[in-house]
Amino acid sequence: MIAQTLDIVTTAAILYAVATGLLLVFGVMKIINFAHGGLMTLGGYAALVTTQAGWNPWLAIPVAALFGGVAGMAIERFVVRPLYARPLDAILATWGLSIIIGQVITIAFGRGVQFTQAPLSGTLDLFGESYSAYRLALVGIAAALGLALTALLQGTRLGLETRAVIMNEDLARGLGINSALVRFLTFTLGAALAGVAGALITPLSSVDPNMGVPWLVNAFMLVLVSGASLLSLLVACLVLGGAQVLVATHFSPVLGGLTIAVLAAVILRIRPKGFARD
Amino acid sequence: MTESRRLSLILAAAVLALAAIFAGPYVLDTYSVNVLTRSLLYAAVALTVDLLWGYLGILTFGQSVFFACGAYAAGLVFTHMDFTPGNAALALALGIGAAVFTAAIVGWLAFWHGASALYASVITLVLPIVATQLLYSGGTFTGSSSGLSGFTSFDLSTEAWFWLAGSFLVAMTTLAYIFVQSDAGRLLVAVRENEQRCKYLGLNTSRLKIRVYLACAVIGAVAGYIYAAYAMVVAPELAGFVFGTELVIWTALGGRGTLLGPVFGALIVDYESAQLSGNFPFIWQLIIGTVFVLVIVAFPRGLLPMVFDLPRRLLGLVRPRGDVARPARVALATLATLDAAQTQGAEVGNGPALAVTGVAKRFGSLTVLDGIDFKARAGELVSLVGPNGAGKTTLMRCIADGAERSAGTIIVNGHDIGSRPPEACVAFGVGRKFQMANVFETLTVAECLQIARARHARPSLWRRANILPLPEAAMHVIATTGLDRQLSTPAHLLSHGLKQALELSMVLALEPRVLLLDEPTAGLTKTERMQIGAILIDLTKKQGLCVLLVEHDLDFVREISSRVIVLHQGRIVLDGSVEEVVASELVKQVYAGSGHAGIAHETAPKTGGQEVPA
Repeated sequence: MIAQTLDIVTTAAILYAVATGLLLVFGVMKIINFAHGGLMTLGGYAALVTTQAGWNPWLAIPVAALFGGVAGMAIERFVVRPLYARPLDAILATWGLSIIIGQVITIAFGRGVQFTQAPLSGTLDLFGESYSAYRLALVGIAAALGLALTALLQGTRLGLETRAVIMNEDLARGLGINSALVRFLTFTLGAALAGVAGALITPLSSVDPNMGVPWLVNAFMLVLVSGASLLSLLVACLVLGGAQVLVATHFSPVLGGLTIAVLAAVILRIRPKGFARD
Repeated sequence: MTESRRLSLILAAAVLALAAIFAGPYVLDTYSVNVLTRSLLYAAVALTVDLLWGYLGILTFGQSVFFACGAYAAGLVFTHMDFTPGNAALALALGIGAAVFTAAIVGWLAFWHGASALYASVITLVLPIVATQLLYSGGTFTGSSSGLSGFTSFDLSTEAWFWLAGSFLVAMTTLAYIFVQSDAGRLLVAVRENEQRCKYLGLNTSRLKIRVYLACAVIGAVAGYIYAAYAMVVAPELAGFVFGTELVIWTALGGRGTLLGPVFGALIVDYESAQLSGNFPFIWQLIIGTVFVLVIVAFPRGLLPMVFDLPRRLLGLVRPRGDVARPARVALATLATLDAAQTQGAEVGNGPALAVTGVAKRFGSLTVLDGIDFKARAGELVSLVGPNGAGKTTLMRCIADGAERSAGTIIVNGHDIGSRPPEACVAFGVGRKFQMANVFETLTVAECLQIARARHARPSLWRRANILPLPEAAMHVIATTGLDRQLSTPAHLLSHGLKQALELSMVLALEPRVLLLDEPTAGLTKTERMQIGAILIDLTKKQGLCVLLVEHDLDFVREISSRVIVLHQGRIVLDGSVEEVVASELVKQVYAGSGHAGIAHETAPKTGGQEVPA
């Protein structure tokens, strides 16, 4: 029971960390960044490079953010910017970028599955259960990410401008907000978050050139049911991630893998706003 | 070019393509024939992606699933049962059945009234993921991750399979080509361009989308069946997301909305992949990915239109400018006037043409309309006046779409509209002209008008009509405004006034009983305005229409209305004859914007139990 609760909480935390970057980009730019999976892969390989260089595994997180952020800047400038008026095309173009990232990584690192060193190993005793320390640490990291983003959006001038662009871009532009700059920074931040997410999940699984793709669809569905709110994303991650854990343990892991996508599709059919409030 | 000439040209091209297919095995090596057989079948699926995405505007990632339906039906039947002609037919039927069943579920999920384009894409994205997982978890029945192989199949030579796949592709492409060029096919583009206008023209766009989707599923399933029978191996990747996106990539590279582009895109890329991926697997994928991104960003029309444009551009360099005018679009030859006795067919009914009772509209805590009660008879021209923000347009919207209002009932021609969608309201006799001219921008004037008639005259699936019969009223507007001289002009090139006139004639072509006009004369000259006014009076007097008109020009209102309703802050403050309203002190106050509190006070008792005689 306790183990299952911990499973649900940690799964939700991982999903949250994976989906925030996508949510940010979708909220501000109304664009689904299908390169998110590719950027996660990039972050995973950044972690691999870091640990192979013998650095502290925790350093993988800033390194991955740097890799993702720099790639994000280039993507926004050259690919996404011309496609603001064509959101469906932006999905396709960013998917194409995902392919490019995957192939470049394959050429550089080979096709094989590789493993990184986890920054935390072993288990922690919690409520009488011994549970993976790294998974527990992820809950803290995801919470820190969520809080930092909330603080950024609610407490800074850039955050205020970003929220203005989210609500009414034309008006925001009319008030002298440089919405192109807001978009550029948002995309860069979203891409950096994707990189961080990639680095965070690598100790749990392995690193391969297509590692980001399975996460992409789940993250995408979570974002769609959450609208543009970090809070409803948290709710969505807990509910749908929880459902995934329950289905996977009580029915079959295969069905568990489908839970988020199918449930989210049904939720959107019944309530197009999903978990978002009015 | 006559209609039969056009069709015979298409058929002649198809025969040429068949001849090329027939010659294929004699000029190609065995390896290429083998690879191309597969590519030809993939191309048939890419064709369905183009129909859905290029023409109908539905970006679909899941066409691979229908291919897999057909393929797995063959694989499963031939593996678990003996291969007999009867079982082969059974497998084909099962494959098509499974595809249709799946497509029906997807259609129900993705194409309901109000679903966004993004949501439809999301559903088609989830579909292949679900399908692959189900195939993985099928154990020995579906062969799990390794799929099924080693089953017996039709005993045909390599050449015969090539001919079969090629003929199938040519047949499907020809049919699709004839369809998209037909009157019915033009509806697809109309839905892509402006789904809202289609609904308000009485077209059930959800049903149209589902039908096209089902047809595409069947094509995919048959292609998959041929594939499995030929390759004698099926794998879960056939249903996968990656194959689904590859189909989209081929379509985008070839040129969406061209049919031939995606077919050649699929053939060339898949064939070259097989040739090159052995030596440079990752580089090849990298090149495809890069070209794909480049095409999406810089050449969204794809590569085929560029290839076709090239000779024209070269000609343009040689010949003097202006000589190479774009070929004029084949226009409808003529308009015709329908006999007045045949139009406005919907029964007038006994009661009022329009009865609005207790209608309210709220956005959250904001009340935009409250306690709206009025009735209007056939033959009445009721003007709705009031300052900006009074709720006039919102009221129009509530009458034309059953899902809009928050409370109250609306009865049109004796039919309670309930919460029915706009196309059902149109069937009851509602015709709505929007405030901003709302037409199909890329279609020509004639095409726009024809789509407006699609509800009455079922468009042909393979032919193009060259005579367009229109009701007298629509013809009158067209002739008065001079639109009849611009029949082959794309709507986006029209002036604002002509667009307004075009939309008005489109709405009149619906033969409505209750006509909702939101500032129909905005942007028209004084003369045009008076002509439209005369037409409206004519419609109400002679044809017995009930017209509800939103108008700011009080002189115009005075001239044509039989009754005026004044709306202010979401309530009816006055409902009476033109004279009463013009003389009213209240109306002057409302328009002058003074004394809001006073008005609210004065009207409060009035709106309570008021029942203004119609």
